[in-house]
Amino acid sequence: MRPLLTLLVSLSLLSGFGFAAGAAPAPRGGTLIIADGVDATTLDGHLYTDSPTAERMDHICETLFDMTPEGRLEPRLAVSSSFSADGKRLTLKLRSGVKFHDGTPFDSKAVKFNLDRILDRETRAPWRSLIDRVTEVVSLDPSTVVLLMNTPFSPLLVHLSHTGTCMQSPTAIQTKGVDYARSPVGTGPFKFKEWVRGDRVVVARHDDYWGEKANLDEIQWKVIPDDGARVLAVEAGSVHIAKRVPPREIERLRGVRGLRVEIVPSLRTIYVAFNVTKPPFNNKKVRQAMNYAINKEAIVKAILAGAGRVSDAPIVPAVFGYSKTMTYEYDLDRARALLREAGFPTGLKAVFHHPTGRYIRDAEVAAAIQGLARRIGVELELQTMDFASYIAFLNKPVTESTVQMYMLGWGTVTSDADYGLYSLFHSINWPPPGFNRGFYKNATTDSLLDRARTTLDPDERKRLYAQAMGIIMDDAPWIFLYSESQVTAYRGEVGAVFMSPQERLVAGKGFLRR
Amino acid sequence: MWAYIAKRLILTVPVLLGVSFVVFAIVRVLPGDPAQVLAGEAATKELIEGLRRDLGLDRPLLVQYVDFLGSLLRGDLGRSIRSKIPVTSELAIRVPNTMILALAGITVATLVGLPAGIISAVKPYSLIDTGVMLLALAGLSMPVFWSGLMLILVFAVLLGWLPAVGTGTPAHIVLPAIAVGMTSAAIIARMTRSSMLEVLRSDYIRTARAKGVAERVVINRHALRNALIPVITVIGLQTGTLLSGAVLTESVFAWPGVGRLMVEGILARDYPLVQGAVLVVALSFVLVNLVVDLLYALADPRIRYE
Repeated sequence: MRPLLTLLVSLSLLSGFGFAAGAAPAPRGGTLIIADGVDATTLDGHLYTDSPTAERMDHICETLFDMTPEGRLEPRLAVSSSFSADGKRLTLKLRSGVKFHDGTPFDSKAVKFNLDRILDRETRAPWRSLIDRVTEVVSLDPSTVVLLMNTPFSPLLVHLSHTGTCMQSPTAIQTKGVDYARSPVGTGPFKFKEWVRGDRVVVARHDDYWGEKANLDEIQWKVIPDDGARVLAVEAGSVHIAKRVPPREIERLRGVRGLRVEIVPSLRTIYVAFNVTKPPFNNKKVRQAMNYAINKEAIVKAILAGAGRVSDAPIVPAVFGYSKTMTYEYDLDRARALLREAGFPTGLKAVFHHPTGRYIRDAEVAAAIQGLARRIGVELELQTMDFASYIAFLNKPVTESTVQMYMLGWGTVTSDADYGLYSLFHSINWPPPGFNRGFYKNATTDSLLDRARTTLDPDERKRLYAQAMGIIMDDAPWIFLYSESQVTAYRGEVGAVFMSPQERLVAGKGFLRR
Repeated sequence: MWAYIAKRLILTVPVLLGVSFVVFAIVRVLPGDPAQVLAGEAATKELIEGLRRDLGLDRPLLVQYVDFLGSLLRGDLGRSIRSKIPVTSELAIRVPNTMILALAGITVATLVGLPAGIISAVKPYSLIDTGVMLLALAGLSMPVFWSGLMLILVFAVLLGWLPAVGTGTPAHIVLPAIAVGMTSAAIIARMTRSSMLEVLRSDYIRTARAKGVAERVVINRHALRNALIPVITVIGLQTGTLLSGAVLTESVFAWPGVGRLMVEGILARDYPLVQGAVLVVALSFVLVNLVVDLLYALADPRIRYE
């Protein structure tokens, strides 16, 4: 599946480029206007939590490493890395000749400042857990920095490609204080120009960028909350790109001259989790019955207009550590048989909590699940609430949680299985504060996941994850639904801009044809 | 008159104090923790608790309220929990946008609704009257998230006459003003018709007609002015509603106003933002009511304020 994903993303890139190798250089100039449904929440790269903000930050601030859409880790601000034999010391060589947009040199002191800031508990960095195994950051010389750990932590390199660990100007952070979050300073191909909250973020080309200079003069992210208005705006030419196009619009937009629609698989898995500590879902057969009863293919086809991929593992193919595990094929007879074996010959009742408007057509998917479950005698009462209340409701400890089954999504944004599996299936992550909100626990799974994060051998890690996923799929703590795809509409004049599996537009090399 | 205005402005203070207490309490009664929302789904317990301390949410509610009041009296509405931008800065951008949309909308509504209501009243139960009232019903019934999209489709996509969304030029306000004005125009038209019909049945109107006064003068000078009081009330109420932010219109047309700010703040449990926005909206309502009361005095010379 990874080769297929690579092909899909590459085709997307090529169609975006729109010209053969060796053709005229890309045209320079112009302001690319991107319509997004939501605004950034902050412009401090260490304090954000959402993808839209990360997308803006990615163009302003850079990380030590870059995770390509194809899942390769490549040098960026760090040019090389090496772990010590015991895995407790990571040495990074830094790129020379790089400066922040305000002229501050990028060197090992800047790296130490940034990583120390993230590690400092007073900063309240949401992504601190990505590098919290690091006990000390040492600036050896201007181009060498060493990260020390008490135990090996194999996902660390990948985590240093996460936007939450991006490099920001120490000078700017120290002088601007709390107001830094309104005017970030990084090393990226674009520098911050303007943020009118609720309306737009504008960045301008950084002409002294250390790498390939951008073609565009500016990029503007315009907030258009309404799905329909966003689509109409790209049709009218008020914007060049519309993100999060509703699936129902795909066919129609493909027939509109001057527009192209691209569907890119995302890292986000949508699932329904069971509270496995309470009846009826403390019975594995009931959980498996629910998996067999839900026709995921039909949901993807009918509700998502094909813009999704039925899950055959708890994580998606683009994530390191993925392997095709199994799918629960739609089989009502098997579902009913399992329910009978579990002691529910006439069915059962349960409450199903779901968000509304958080994920693509989440409420409709929940309603479909309700209808499908009814066919095996499972009566689900749907309950929804706004997302802040929803998360508060789900984050209760096992002794207080009243949830029976709930829908959520999880984006394995590091593209490493540790982030997707350890966070969601290890028993150490029962809330609060963890994300294993169904209270799944399997000692073998725990052991496999623990070993996988301390083993530096990638093949061994893959093997351990494959084993763990086999157990998880069989235990069925979830209904393994599907992974989302991002649907984006581009005007024909846009080139070299693409959506990554992290659900972020990458426009650093973008251009506008005349 | 000036004493009356001064008294009303002084009375604004206890009104705003009451509003401040109510909004302070209501946002804190909502389920959901601002620290959790700020920290994100992937937050640790330690991070959430640290944020709660930073935001002062671990203090007793009374202490939080007194602190909030103290800052309010200094003109400091605090900083947005999410963006860290001062709430006053946020409102400084959004409030003018909302005022522009409200004024444009109410202008469209009055320019369309008032004459429509008058025409309907002057020709009651005629085809014109039926037509106007049907249009008014349509205006009231059409949800703005649909009518707004239709306006964009026709005027921006198909005809290309106007920009689809956003701000920046006078052309950008046209479609949102029409969308938001349509409902208000319908309400004003119906109220004008109703009020005019009542006035046109009065003895002094019959007398004016019997004296041979031109019908245009009867309508414009004698009837309309007396029918205006309830119409002014409705226009005032509609203006107040628009000033509180037309959330759906702002969302469809990507108009960054106070309505969207409030909804975003509520969903994010951004207490300072919601408190600040609600106070500004409350102040707008109070001032609009004052202007409406003063307009009564202009419309009806018998009304005098001491």
